[in-house]
Amino acid sequence: MAANPSRSLTDIFLTNARDAAATVERVTASSAAVFKALEMTTKGVRSIVVATGEWLPPEILSVARDLPNVIASPSDEQLARADVGITEAFAGVASSGSICVALGAPLTAAASLLMPLHIVLLAARRIVARPRDLFDGKCLGGEGLQRNLVFITGPSATADMGPLVRGVHGPHRLHILLLE
Amino acid sequence: MASSKSQSAQSGSPREVANKSDQGNLLRAIRMALEVQSATIRFNTQDHNRGRYSATEALPDYDALKDRARKTKEQAIAHLPDLARELEAVVRGRGGHLFVAANAEDACRYILGVCEEHAAKLVVKGKSITSEEIRLNHALEAAGIEVAESDLAEFILQIADEQPSHIVAPAIHYSRERITALFKRKFQTDLPLDTGEELTKFARQRLREKFLRADIGVTGANLIAADTGTLMLVESEGNIRMSSFLPPVHIAIAGVEKIIAARRDMAPFLELLAASGTGQKLTSYTSFLNPPLDDPPFAMPGKPRKTREFHLVLIDNGRLRMREDPVLREALYCIRCSACLNACANFQAVGGHAFGGETYSGGMGGAWEAGTAKLENARFSELCTGCSRCVTACPVLIDIPWLNENLRERLNHTDGPSAISGFLGAISSAAEKDTHIPAAKIFFGNFHFFAKWGVRLAPFSNAMAGKKFARIIMERSLGIDRRRALPAFSRRTLVQAARELDSRAGQQREKKAVLFADVYTNYGLPERGLAALHTLRALSVDVVVSESIPEGRAALSQGMIATAKKQAGRSVKALESYLTAGRDIIVIEPSALAMFRRDYRHLLDDKDQFERLLMRTFEPVEYIVRLLEKSGRRAMEVFDVRRSPVGSRIFFHSHCQQKTIGCAAPTEVLLREIGFDVATSSVECCGMAGSFGYKKDYYDLSMAVGADLLQQVAAAEKDGGPRALIASGTSCTEQLHSGLKRPVQHPLELLAALLKT
Repeated sequence: MAANPSRSLTDIFLTNARDAAATVERVTASSAAVFKALEMTTKGVRSIVVATGEWLPPEILSVARDLPNVIASPSDEQLARADVGITEAFAGVASSGSICVALGAPLTAAASLLMPLHIVLLAARRIVARPRDLFDGKCLGGEGLQRNLVFITGPSATADMGPLVRGVHGPHRLHILLLE
Repeated sequence: MASSKSQSAQSGSPREVANKSDQGNLLRAIRMALEVQSATIRFNTQDHNRGRYSATEALPDYDALKDRARKTKEQAIAHLPDLARELEAVVRGRGGHLFVAANAEDACRYILGVCEEHAAKLVVKGKSITSEEIRLNHALEAAGIEVAESDLAEFILQIADEQPSHIVAPAIHYSRERITALFKRKFQTDLPLDTGEELTKFARQRLREKFLRADIGVTGANLIAADTGTLMLVESEGNIRMSSFLPPVHIAIAGVEKIIAARRDMAPFLELLAASGTGQKLTSYTSFLNPPLDDPPFAMPGKPRKTREFHLVLIDNGRLRMREDPVLREALYCIRCSACLNACANFQAVGGHAFGGETYSGGMGGAWEAGTAKLENARFSELCTGCSRCVTACPVLIDIPWLNENLRERLNHTDGPSAISGFLGAISSAAEKDTHIPAAKIFFGNFHFFAKWGVRLAPFSNAMAGKKFARIIMERSLGIDRRRALPAFSRRTLVQAARELDSRAGQQREKKAVLFADVYTNYGLPERGLAALHTLRALSVDVVVSESIPEGRAALSQGMIATAKKQAGRSVKALESYLTAGRDIIVIEPSALAMFRRDYRHLLDDKDQFERLLMRTFEPVEYIVRLLEKSGRRAMEVFDVRRSPVGSRIFFHSHCQQKTIGCAAPTEVLLREIGFDVATSSVECCGMAGSFGYKKDYYDLSMAVGADLLQQVAAAEKDGGPRALIASGTSCTEQLHSGLKRPVQHPLELLAALLKT
């Protein structure tokens, strides 16, 4: 619920993202802290794909490439079989707990879709109040009106097989590193 | 329940009964759905419906969003040819292809051409109901191309060879148990498939390989922006993202009506669609793509890496004709959210295999089948009872019952008269146009006429209603189910009874009103009218009773629009004289009140007349609450719960149309304030819905819908024992009475008994 104006966008985002079955971890926006968080989350996985970043300071996403088992330039077959995709978020949406990924930068589309675990790095200052805000030309440089976007709300899900099942064609788990 | 039974051989498979141009198919489909699918559909649609209520309540500007969405769609349809040209230039400018298909064959031919050009062997598809409309799978498979449906619901339907039963959740009629049985039968597998997770894993593994090998990906589109060529794609499984990203060729199929002017105008739809459809804040994935994408397409080992190609296939297939039709044009505003399906009590009971045609289903389905196939295929729209619960659910403000009443009018004239139509038409006051239609329609549409004679001959007519031979004749000639108890006619009408009351006490008072003697109250339930007079006069209102004029509800519900217009004209003339005399209009029967407050906007030529009625007509309890508020008196000062002849525990069921016009809450609130322990129903409609539950063809469905209401009564009485039954509508009263064999009172009858003076 976004009704209480005294709650910060970050708090609202946290509540709603968790309601949507995403996991969220608050992390200091430093290379060391991000590396530590990624290391914990990807412990034991065999293959990781890291997409190119656009908005975060380059050193932050580049630490992801230092993780063990990162495939530096994956073939399509490796992409299809990888365990973890790491991307940056273009924005976060408080009211729905969504992250919004802008496609275009190398490996972003694949790393946000094909692997069972999608880890996304979201800068807290890029959280907007409602989905529609990204259609405002003044918001985040107006890129929301230009780019290929996907609003991602929790892991992929279906109700077609009877009860709600999380983890269908898209990622089974969405882990958000909220950088503050 | 019956959900794990296999399809009954007797009632046929879903495909066999998909085409509803034959009434027999409609009846077989209802039987099949009630036997096999009902429990699962009910569970799922009611779940979505509850989700919709909470998700739309959480939208702070829900009504404003609906207005914006409506305006965007209206403008888009008005300027459709210009927008299509603009879109074409944008798509071509980006290196894509755009093709406008005049009809289904045209669309399939073009898509087959693209497939041939790429020597495609495997096409992977995201969910697209429009592709069902053009029978794309059939065309591709006939050309030897493998089609992999990747939406899990469509995957189930492809295996089972069934049409969608719902426009958003196409396999909503399948329980987990039936899916397990289907997969085991079709795939001959020993794998464990006994949970949703296992079934999903099984399908995912098969489909992942298809995604990676596919030559072409086909998707639909929820909206398309003309200014940027952006496709809006809403889903939860990730299969649409994969279909548009992995294969080198992406073909998007969409009806031409999906075009809107600008990408920024997509903003209100984003939240509206998710909230209205599945009751979510957003679905798992909502994509906004300007294809072709920048990323290189996937190429697994052994496959050449191609450059990306994008084709947008826009389907006319009758839509431009719908645009010229003032009624069907409304359907082009539809954004396929499915709120009207989930909010519909009849749909909840049978789903889209019965309440639907070969492609489209539910309240909006009739207009779509009529527009893209033919009028006769819309015969299932008979299952729209006009309860109007979809009206407030529709995010683009389509008056769905009005569409269905218009389809009914057209179907009436296609069907033509039966043997006694001329006779019935002549003795009743049906408009000339409405005398050449089936007799049952004329009978139900002129209820007031037959009710008038029922009262004049009351002891005789009521006795006949209980005679077996009379019921057989009525069933054969008019289609009235012999199992349904007929309403007893009062021996004295409200108008007659009111004349004998002393009304002098009502003079010299500041508030003046007229009680509209609606035909249901006047001929059938005059006691609730007398209770209204008694209560209002006790509250110092100078109230008189009008003559009894049919307001047109019965005629409208039978698709006799000419007759309804004639009756609306007569009613408004009579009521305007009361308004001029400074009297507010009080209407007891909610279905009649809803005519004045909602349906007359279509029936009256003078829109000012409609606005005046809208402002000055009141539901009686709503009126009483306003009187109390104005005089500053508390409910308990006027009404004493201790005087209640039925105790203080009650079950209140409000009428469907009463809810739509926002008049249900005052009764509930007032009864609570007085001190009653009030339980309420949460069903959208009781299932009786005027004449619907009397009809032989629909009696079983009506009873199945009513079962939900009866269950809620039972649940409310589980602790603390029985509750007195209180209902506002005539139909609801009959449905509750026939189901529970207990007295049912109108709230006014209860209130009248509680008056302190």
